[in-house]
Amino acid sequence: MTSVLAGPLSAINYAEPWYVQIIKALLIFAIGFSLVPLVLLYERKLLGRFQGRPGPNRVGIYGSMQPLADIGKLLFKEQFKPRGAIGWLFIAAPLISMVAALATFPLIPFSGAPQEILGTKVGLYGLDSDIGLLIFFAFSAIGSYGILLGGWSSTSKYSFLGAMRGAAQLISYEAAQGLALLGVVMTTGSLSLSEIVDKQDHMGLWFLVPQIVGAFIFFVATLAEINRTPFDLLEADSELVGGFMTEYGGGRFALYYVAEYVHLVVAGAMFSTLFLGGWNIPFWNGAPGFLDPFVVLAKTLVIVSIIIWIRATLPRLRYDQLMSFGWKILLPLATLNALVTAIVLVAL
Amino acid sequence: MDEILFFVAGIAAIVAAAGTVFLRNPFYAVLSLVVHLLSLSMLFLLLYAQFVAVVQVMVYVGAVMVLYVFVNAYVGGGSEPEGGGGPSLRMFSYAIAITLIVTIGIAVLGTGLQAIDGSGPDDIPASFGSPGEIGKLLLTKFLLPFEAASFLLLVAAIGAVVLARRRRGVLPGEERMVAALDLLAPTGTGSMREGVGAINPTPGGFSARITPSTGAGTLPASDDRTGDDSEGGSR
Repeated sequence: MTSVLAGPLSAINYAEPWYVQIIKALLIFAIGFSLVPLVLLYERKLLGRFQGRPGPNRVGIYGSMQPLADIGKLLFKEQFKPRGAIGWLFIAAPLISMVAALATFPLIPFSGAPQEILGTKVGLYGLDSDIGLLIFFAFSAIGSYGILLGGWSSTSKYSFLGAMRGAAQLISYEAAQGLALLGVVMTTGSLSLSEIVDKQDHMGLWFLVPQIVGAFIFFVATLAEINRTPFDLLEADSELVGGFMTEYGGGRFALYYVAEYVHLVVAGAMFSTLFLGGWNIPFWNGAPGFLDPFVVLAKTLVIVSIIIWIRATLPRLRYDQLMSFGWKILLPLATLNALVTAIVLVAL
Repeated sequence: MDEILFFVAGIAAIVAAAGTVFLRNPFYAVLSLVVHLLSLSMLFLLLYAQFVAVVQVMVYVGAVMVLYVFVNAYVGGGSEPEGGGGPSLRMFSYAIAITLIVTIGIAVLGTGLQAIDGSGPDDIPASFGSPGEIGKLLLTKFLLPFEAASFLLLVAAIGAVVLARRRRGVLPGEERMVAALDLLAPTGTGSMREGVGAINPTPGGFSARITPSTGAGTLPASDDRTGDDSEGGSR
């Protein structure tokens, strides 16, 4: 058991005893899950403010119980599927989405050196692998199957169109997203997320400054990858009803919904890890270790707020605009960024 | 734990590979191939080749197979297999298949017989299978095959473009250079002036002012605002 858990995937950094790993796994799952209703409420409140209305304010104090009411309602609804749907795929697709979304959360490092908790040294990350960044991309690739299969197995035209758009969009923006990070990876010399943060610590400079182009491309491509406005073409409520999840209801719809918000949180955390220095607090080098997770969460919150702000501001792109923007602007720009970074790195 | 995972992944890989060949519905065949590739990456992981495992998922499962699923879902649909091709094509495919089997057989038997005497590597260096190590090998020992493979991919990409142009793609007459200005939104796009029809943003970066030939004259900039509201817009 230890050879797999402590072996290939976490080869470089500190690996804990097996019971700590199991506790950590459960804890990360719980934290990831409990962030979802918070972000859900935050988004609805913030959207309300942007649109000059109070947002949810009836359930609980200040509307605080609204997400629980939403999720509760969804879970107690009838499970149905369309007559022509392919049963097992229809059931499996939201699960794939959910699992792939949650699997990326443990990759986020929440602190630098392992922290001492109750006498045991514990690294505040699920998995600190030397290929953490690639694992992130691998799981987001698997996540696209959840959308694709869900839309296809519903045997509905709206679902199908949404899923097909999703497939094309995810492939197109995955390339730009990966290339945009090449600058960061080259500067660090590693694919490990905690080493990327360490490098920013040592440089005393967040990657946002030297890699501003990469950060921009990564941010835009991530918006497309997690299907947020203005790239929410696979849902496109005004033209496709609900896109790939048109035929879903009840608990299965809730799975898609929760996966979307997990993606949102992970996107924010990933951006703050890669470009905003992770747990690093500017101009304060001797910050105590217990602050680290809160710093990461605070930076995540900033990014999530920006993403919600964008949702409140921008209209949806047209499909051809989406494609030409991805291939003709983002991808060349990302390649150029990688090239320039390489030249600068060699020249220095 | 390792042994259990190995057998689970190995059996899944074999079953899924068989499914890819024998399933009638092309969509399910592709899904079966996806399962096969995932189990293969599991096997790579057990061999301490974590980089290869993850890249396998990223490239094959994430990009190539999504494209297969995409194409199959769009144009597939029929569960009937396509026609078997001519006799010459059949002979050619048999020849290819047999060559492939022989080559793989030699490779597997060769390394397998070599390894059966040994006891496996005693200790694997920490850098084994790391991206840095693989990158070093690709740029030193395997430089020529690496470059040849990337050249092959380049040829394939150009071929795809040529084929797409011949099918339908771009006709000779409609081919034009895309200027950088075309990609920018024309000035005034999405503005209130466009909304009321005072200007007409055209691609190329400029907005033509509309001068209505009939009815009301040009819209004055300042006085008209009150008039608009009193008409009861869709606010």
